[in-house]
Amino acid sequence: MSRSVLLVAERSGDHLARPSREAAGLARRLADGGTVHGLLLGGDLDGPAAELARCGVDSVLRAEDPELLPLRALPWATVVREAAARPAAGVILLADTIFGREVAGALAALWDASVATGAIEVRPAEGDRIVVRRPVLGGRAFQELLLDGPRILLTVRPGAFPAPEPAATAAPVAPFPVAPIPAPLRAGRSAGFTGDPAPAAGPDLGSARIVVSGGRGLRSAGEFRLIEDLARELGAAVGASRAVTDAGWRPASDQVGQTGRRVTPELYVAVGISGAIQHLAGMIGSRVIVAINSDPGAPIFKSADYGIVGDLFAIVPAITAELRRERGA
Amino acid sequence: MEIQVLVKPAPETEGRIAPTADGSRLDPAGIKWVLAGYDESAVEQALLLRERSPGTIVHALSWGPAPRSEEILRAGLALGCDRATWVEAPPGFEPTGIDAARALAAVLADRPAELVLLGQQSGDSEDGLQPLALAALLGRPGFGAVSRLTWDAAGRQFSFLRSLDHGAEEWTVPAPVVVGLRQADQDPRTAKLPMILKSRKMPVDRVASATVAAALDGHPGSPPLRFSLPAPRSGAKLIEYASPEEAAQKLLKRLREEAKVLP
Amino acid sequence: MPDFSLSPDLESLQDLARKFARTEMMPRAAECDRRGIFPEEIYRKAFDLGLMNLNVPAEYGGSGLGAFQQCLIVEELGYGCAGMTTSIIANCLALEPILLGGTEAQKREVLEPFCRSYHLASFGLTEPGGGSDAGSLATRARRDGEGYVLSGEKCFITNAPHASLFTVFATLDPELRHKGISAFYVPREAEGVVPGKDEEKMGHRASSTGTVRFEQVRVPAAHRLGAEGEGFPLAMRTLDMTRTPIGALATGIAQCALDHAARYSRERHSFGKPIGEHQAIQMKLAMMTSQVRAARLLTWQAATLIDAGKNATLESSVAKCFASDAAMRVSDEAIQIFGGYGYMKDYPVEKLLRDAKLTQIYEGSNEIQRIVIARELLRRYAP
Repeated sequence: MSRSVLLVAERSGDHLARPSREAAGLARRLADGGTVHGLLLGGDLDGPAAELARCGVDSVLRAEDPELLPLRALPWATVVREAAARPAAGVILLADTIFGREVAGALAALWDASVATGAIEVRPAEGDRIVVRRPVLGGRAFQELLLDGPRILLTVRPGAFPAPEPAATAAPVAPFPVAPIPAPLRAGRSAGFTGDPAPAAGPDLGSARIVVSGGRGLRSAGEFRLIEDLARELGAAVGASRAVTDAGWRPASDQVGQTGRRVTPELYVAVGISGAIQHLAGMIGSRVIVAINSDPGAPIFKSADYGIVGDLFAIVPAITAELRRERGA
Repeated sequence: MEIQVLVKPAPETEGRIAPTADGSRLDPAGIKWVLAGYDESAVEQALLLRERSPGTIVHALSWGPAPRSEEILRAGLALGCDRATWVEAPPGFEPTGIDAARALAAVLADRPAELVLLGQQSGDSEDGLQPLALAALLGRPGFGAVSRLTWDAAGRQFSFLRSLDHGAEEWTVPAPVVVGLRQADQDPRTAKLPMILKSRKMPVDRVASATVAAALDGHPGSPPLRFSLPAPRSGAKLIEYASPEEAAQKLLKRLREEAKVLP
Repeated sequence: MPDFSLSPDLESLQDLARKFARTEMMPRAAECDRRGIFPEEIYRKAFDLGLMNLNVPAEYGGSGLGAFQQCLIVEELGYGCAGMTTSIIANCLALEPILLGGTEAQKREVLEPFCRSYHLASFGLTEPGGGSDAGSLATRARRDGEGYVLSGEKCFITNAPHASLFTVFATLDPELRHKGISAFYVPREAEGVVPGKDEEKMGHRASSTGTVRFEQVRVPAAHRLGAEGEGFPLAMRTLDMTRTPIGALATGIAQCALDHAARYSRERHSFGKPIGEHQAIQMKLAMMTSQVRAARLLTWQAATLIDAGKNATLESSVAKCFASDAAMRVSDEAIQIFGGYGYMKDYPVEKLLRDAKLTQIYEGSNEIQRIVIARELLRRYAP
């Protein structure tokens, strides 16, 4: 059954943000023959609008107003709600970025929708209903929710859906008039960007979403820098095998294993760790495990989801560099 | 200043989890409920704000079923919150997401607190909707992903760092404001034994479910269909590569597109 | 507690100790054990959280817990590391004679500073010439003007190298045996107090144990606990109070061994299936589970009687004796389930066996406990 989908897109510099491009691909699929309108908010939107126009949308709406910058969720949600009324949208779709989720939170209240955030799979169900799958409990489990009714609000996890190739023809771009925003909703002022985002979880191993652990394969305390660099790029906590803490390269409190901490992050990267049962006991509950080790027979590969057999001193810096490159640093 | 800090029970991260018999949701039986991680940070930051601004009252608020909500409020009292209010959930409501925001907004609307503070997302459902849903329902400015939160008593305004995907911004916002906390200025403290003993005897105010029932009625929901655990592993998929750069690119691509564990 | 479940109030105390054990003690336990490190920063944290002077009433600044509450906490700490636990709860033992036999002024003088900031105290009863035979102790107290002069040596004293206060049992007249013994408290800085070296031990290696010599130490009469000659019953009443928590500590060791063994039984495969599916392993796990549960319930019963102000001599001896034997059996079987790995120091279970052994020996050896149990039993069958 066809739906009318409103895609709320974000920019990244002078481009359309990649997660929004991915959401556009999903929007087209969800519309199922219906219309997809892409909405951009803020100012100076030529670049992102031109890219969005080639993402398979039927039209691009540009809501340009000084009140929409710097980014505030409530003014955005107010405008999105207006846009969802003309013509009436059945689905509002956003990328699950930090700000996308803020806008979704405000919209959930203002637009009164059936709502799910952070979807990694989306499939249509009977009628005009939608089933979404999303990780919960820090990635330890998955939940499927049924979204139903005339208003469905959905955010999709970046990276979970393929971005469409640019279309040959561009959809029309039109301005979307912004009504005055009530003063309380646009209170406060920003001094602008000051640096990197704060890490989402503290340095505590136990609560980190991502853990990068190093083992004996690093050969010396100094080489642990490779682990720290990668962890920083991933926003991860640093762990270690018992061999490493016993050697004094890292404090004992960093030890993951039967005699150390038990961790259950969404992503566990084991570098130069052979995978003795003693270590596995501490991390086997992680959702996704990556092993990097020079020994193809290392038991860690039996318990990992992804493996790279090779020289960690070449592989790990390459991953760190790739992450830096993607971030544009 | 008055701070209303919202606290929510979440399953202990090391405990066992399993679906209910019908497979639709997390089985609450045998779950050990603890203060959700981000909410723990929110309580910590509220207490730090009180230490820096004498006369501040920190009021803990929780919506949900007994006894776990009341227990989580006592955990807040043991950490040093001044008062606690338990908002009773009507039967059949699982205290997640937007419903929680509606119920809590109904109570908070009458409380002129300078700051409504909560974790940027809960430790179990992780929907992350509450901070801005509350702000919208209360008609107050709201921000998620906040760290380095400070209060300027003379100017009656808050300053903080607000994280976005590509960086962080410094903000100054006049009270009242709703803040979803990303990180406290220090690791959350541990309640001390004498405070735990004291917290057991402190009153927990109770707001009957009837008070919030109207705010919850007639809204669309998103009922849970299935709760599942990851499939067991059968050995790593090895990444084939010709150069370290290629290995890195292939790994990151698969972590994003296949495992969906990286943005 | 008819269904043996814990109230939320009790659970909140248990949670505190469990969290401390899992996040502070366990990550350091293996390292401290291997290198014999006395992790003072952990003990300071335990003090800060109120986990140290559990038995000191709140009016003196202590935690003021009853026996049952203490047992819940000590079991969780014992699960984390028995050696650290012994050092953390040593103050309870050393300060108990002051709680039982001290005057109000003495309590205020000693207990308040102990609860205000981190200090360790040691209980000085055992001597090189005799442990269980306390009546034969040789440390002499000689009257001298307004006070006393102590001379002699105590051994196997927990925390002695780090203690700032000692409760000491000494005799005014060895001929009088038990009736000649008096109790004193002596600050570390008193002239002539000479703590000896830290002993190398089989287990409890995160704890510190040593001798302390008293070389003509002058002690004012105001530091005598109770009347002259009342020292022996005071020591016995003290041990009556602390025996049950040792049962709880041993239960913690046993539970830890069981958890490791059960988890390993699910993870380790042999003959094509997890070893937990072999009956040989199941028999062991069933025995271990029964032992742990019985140990806990016996400890809880003794503690409940103590809190009710009832005589618990028999029950506390049964609890201590049974739980410490259970800790030995269960940790022994845990090693057997781990096989060769269990014998290796890379795995946590061999430490548990070494730690468990001490619980059969200290705070009244299990042989003494059995004598007490038999005496109490036979008294009830008097013709």
